Amino acid sequence: MRRRDFLKLVAASGAGAVVFTGCDLSQFGDGDPKREFQIQSAVDNPQDFALGRDLWYATAYSGIAGGSGLIVRVYEGRAKKVDGNPDYPLNLGRSTALEQSLVQELYHPDRIGGPLKLKGDRGSGSYSALAWDEAQNEFNSMITAGKGSTLLITPPVSGSEAAAIAQFTKAIGGEHVTFEPEERIVLREAMRRVFGSEHLPTFDLGNAQFLLNFGAEFLNDWISPVHLSIGYGAFRGGAGGKRGRYWHVGPQLSATASNADKWVYINPGTEGLVALSMAQVMTSQGLVDSGAASSIYNGISLDDYSPDKVAGKAGISADQITEMAKLFAGTKPAIAMAGTAAAAHTNGLFNLTAVYSLNYLVGSVGTKGGVMLNPDSPLPDVLPNMTVGTSYRDWKPIVDKIKSGGTKLVLVHNANPVYGLPPAVGLKDALGAGAKVVSFSNFLDETTTQADLVLPTLVTLEDWGLHVPDPGPGYQTIALQQPVVKPFVDAKSFVDLLIGAATTAGGSLPWKTNEELVRTIVGQLQQAGGGNITGVDDPKEYFVTVQGQGGWWDTSKTASAAPTAPAKPTSAAEPKFDGNGEYYLVPYPTNSLSYGEHSHLPWLQALPEPISTNVWSTWVDVNTSTAKKLGVETGDIVKLTSSAGTVEVAVYMNPSAPTDTLLVPFGQGHVIFSRYAEKRGENPFELVAAQTEAETGALAWAATKVSIKKANKKVRIPRLEGSVPAYQLEEFPIIEVEAAE
Amino acid sequence: MAQRWGMTIDLDLCTGCQACVVACQAENNIPINTEENFQQRRAIEWIRVERYWEGEFPNVKARYIPVPCMMCEDAPCEPVCPVYATYHTDQGLNFQVYNRCIGTRYCSVNCHWHVRFFNFWEPKWPESLKQQLNPLVAVRSRGVMEKCSFCIQRIDHAEQSAKLQGREVHDGEFTTACAQACPTRAIVFGDLNNPASEVAKTIASTKRGYQLLADLGTNPAVVYLKKIDADPLPDDSKHKYFDSSQYTRIKETVAVG
Repeated sequence: MRRRDFLKLVAASGAGAVVFTGCDLSQFGDGDPKREFQIQSAVDNPQDFALGRDLWYATAYSGIAGGSGLIVRVYEGRAKKVDGNPDYPLNLGRSTALEQSLVQELYHPDRIGGPLKLKGDRGSGSYSALAWDEAQNEFNSMITAGKGSTLLITPPVSGSEAAAIAQFTKAIGGEHVTFEPEERIVLREAMRRVFGSEHLPTFDLGNAQFLLNFGAEFLNDWISPVHLSIGYGAFRGGAGGKRGRYWHVGPQLSATASNADKWVYINPGTEGLVALSMAQVMTSQGLVDSGAASSIYNGISLDDYSPDKVAGKAGISADQITEMAKLFAGTKPAIAMAGTAAAAHTNGLFNLTAVYSLNYLVGSVGTKGGVMLNPDSPLPDVLPNMTVGTSYRDWKPIVDKIKSGGTKLVLVHNANPVYGLPPAVGLKDALGAGAKVVSFSNFLDETTTQADLVLPTLVTLEDWGLHVPDPGPGYQTIALQQPVVKPFVDAKSFVDLLIGAATTAGGSLPWKTNEELVRTIVGQLQQAGGGNITGVDDPKEYFVTVQGQGGWWDTSKTASAAPTAPAKPTSAAEPKFDGNGEYYLVPYPTNSLSYGEHSHLPWLQALPEPISTNVWSTWVDVNTSTAKKLGVETGDIVKLTSSAGTVEVAVYMNPSAPTDTLLVPFGQGHVIFSRYAEKRGENPFELVAAQTEAETGALAWAATKVSIKKANKKVRIPRLEGSVPAYQLEEFPIIEVEAAE
Repeated sequence: MAQRWGMTIDLDLCTGCQACVVACQAENNIPINTEENFQQRRAIEWIRVERYWEGEFPNVKARYIPVPCMMCEDAPCEPVCPVYATYHTDQGLNFQVYNRCIGTRYCSVNCHWHVRFFNFWEPKWPESLKQQLNPLVAVRSRGVMEKCSFCIQRIDHAEQSAKLQGREVHDGEFTTACAQACPTRAIVFGDLNNPASEVAKTIASTKRGYQLLADLGTNPAVVYLKKIDADPLPDDSKHKYFDSSQYTRIKETVAVG
């Protein structure tokens, strides 16, 4: 801000006190001082201005399934630092790189500054700015025209946002679908089948002594990375008596697998077969109750899955299966876990149900050091649990309906399905076919650029919300999200926009704003009683207490597990792969960019992927000896071809990659998604054949085979390796290791 | 006795998630590491997580080690600075005075842990991202060395608060940004001179403690706790440790840059 502008503003202020909440009028908003500057008396100044001190506010993040409680350091009206909320039960003061990066989402240079209206062709990214009055009028008229044939796409939502969406869709006669990583859909179904639970479980790792994990990226990008990492720390630290032992089973030495004491390689998609074989060993050798096993694996003849029959299919020796079974049955408490790529196969549900059922065999369900189920929301009607994602199979009729004109209005919030679904679904073409599209995104991405109207919404640190984490910590928990700073751009709360639109459409919603909705529900929580706030009668004080501690939780409200699997077991199945390529394609979400939804945040782009240490790019992990056979080395460009398409990526020689498997990280390949993500790398979904998990219909993104061909081009992959060596000298180890006692 | 600030990093708990890396960047106004920065081997990470291979498929492991400044007691980076920009505080911190630094980079050459970083360019942020910068930490300009400070601004803040209240700084009253974020509690920060501090107790209670490059005799204030390996690789694993063919490859890669 120039000195002259400053003096003008001081002159304009009656009280003479100027509070800055924005310092560059040319960059953001429309330069309207009412919005950019807050002029008020010194008495009303926030404490950080009055005292020159920073303040920490509690809030919450729901961008990953489990979510987390946060504290945010605010100084002079700006969010400076995000950390974990020490009170909040799921993350107890700890945080991930993603949560740390929320400030970059807030102050992102390519964040949309106000409503936009499509100017050019769809997909061109050409928009003209619009005032909110006009934008809302336009939105309301679209809602009126689309009444009864509106589709709303969001990520899975819970709590206050889910309550508002339910009222909105009821008022306008619309349909709500959710977009989430397909493997989670399989996981949720497996929880229903094995544990009879509608919610994702948590794992009492801290008290466990043995963890057998079939592919779940639980330390990095799965359902609740911080909560599970805290448990992992306690597990390794000996909280359960002595240091816990961890074996990882799967086709990839992933970022999580690299922390295991032992990585047991098995062929992709054979997790369920190995689990059944372990069950066969445990029952036949009398290590567990065989009666329990027959009820759990009802209808499956375990003797058909003895180690010698499974070993060849799984690419593992029969002795290894037997050893795992004995270790699992003999080290108590033990936990069996499965997820991520294990679910992304044509037999993904079988893989997961077979593995999770092992927990029943060793008595690790609902017990100390075992799998802990999560209860329903304390107020299921007004504060719903997390909605369930829409499977690939279910997207097809949705897309067909849009294409045929059956859906007249498509609303998209915080989701980018055009990028995240394989092109074969045809969503992009369908959105261009005639339906009106409104995006509530903060960034121009592949889906937003298909929109007629863009209404930017407040980001995590600017908005209100109540979230029911899924998974929770094993007892009823609600996270309270509150604005810690004033909106940085000219955006509005998504829920406020829904409430406004529903009212226009003739609906009668019980709240006028998102804040009122949150306050109302907290009032209902107080009336319901229980929880960690006691002895507070005044509703205002109650709300402030919930605000201050970042949520509400009741450790006495747990879920009980059925003594045996209530199962409708899935039938045993072997994986099916599409294509004739020589190599298995195993795409993988990374700890920083996940499935590509965080690629616009520069700290995360610059965060080395733990295994390869690569940054800012896409590569294919090729085994060192396979690379030599192919005549390629790190940096060489290769063409990967499947039945779905071809992509060109650079080779990274990875000594841990299986010789017949090519590993490609998700995250890049955005056509448009801010200066930090667009036109960078490749999207592996372009290689993924349209195969689905047999029962849930979820996309089997790990069930494609590819061929590889040298492209006679070379690039330098940006990475940390090279700045630091890849191997240690045995004589002078950097990482010293000692044997377990 | 003055404090000697130090840290333990339990390698058995570190998962390589790098929450510490981003927490440090957010706290200490570290410029965004662009693709070009990595290509030129000039990425600035006051704390980085190094990964080392051991073995080859199927008998293979990847191990992680977070590496911040070791805050050596006898720091090799200090005596080589011609302008005393690199100095030792009475609390054992190895410190950098940015506005004294003339950019000779001798300190960086003499640091065996490679934890000193030179600003080859003026750091740049898009205007909006500057809103996030920490007002308590100076943005370093071109031509200046920078390094981990053990979050000196947090130390100062805690000391000032304690002084105002007429008391000593309590153990655990504050911590560094990396330790605060660490999900597995692998990083513990505190006063090594206070036997009641968690960091001192951790060191006293374990036989796993070691210092990185301890043979150099600099007495780092960062103490690592050895990784525990319950299932070591078979002794005959191919390329278990150093492998000359890998070395050649790395050498070539560096030469290209």
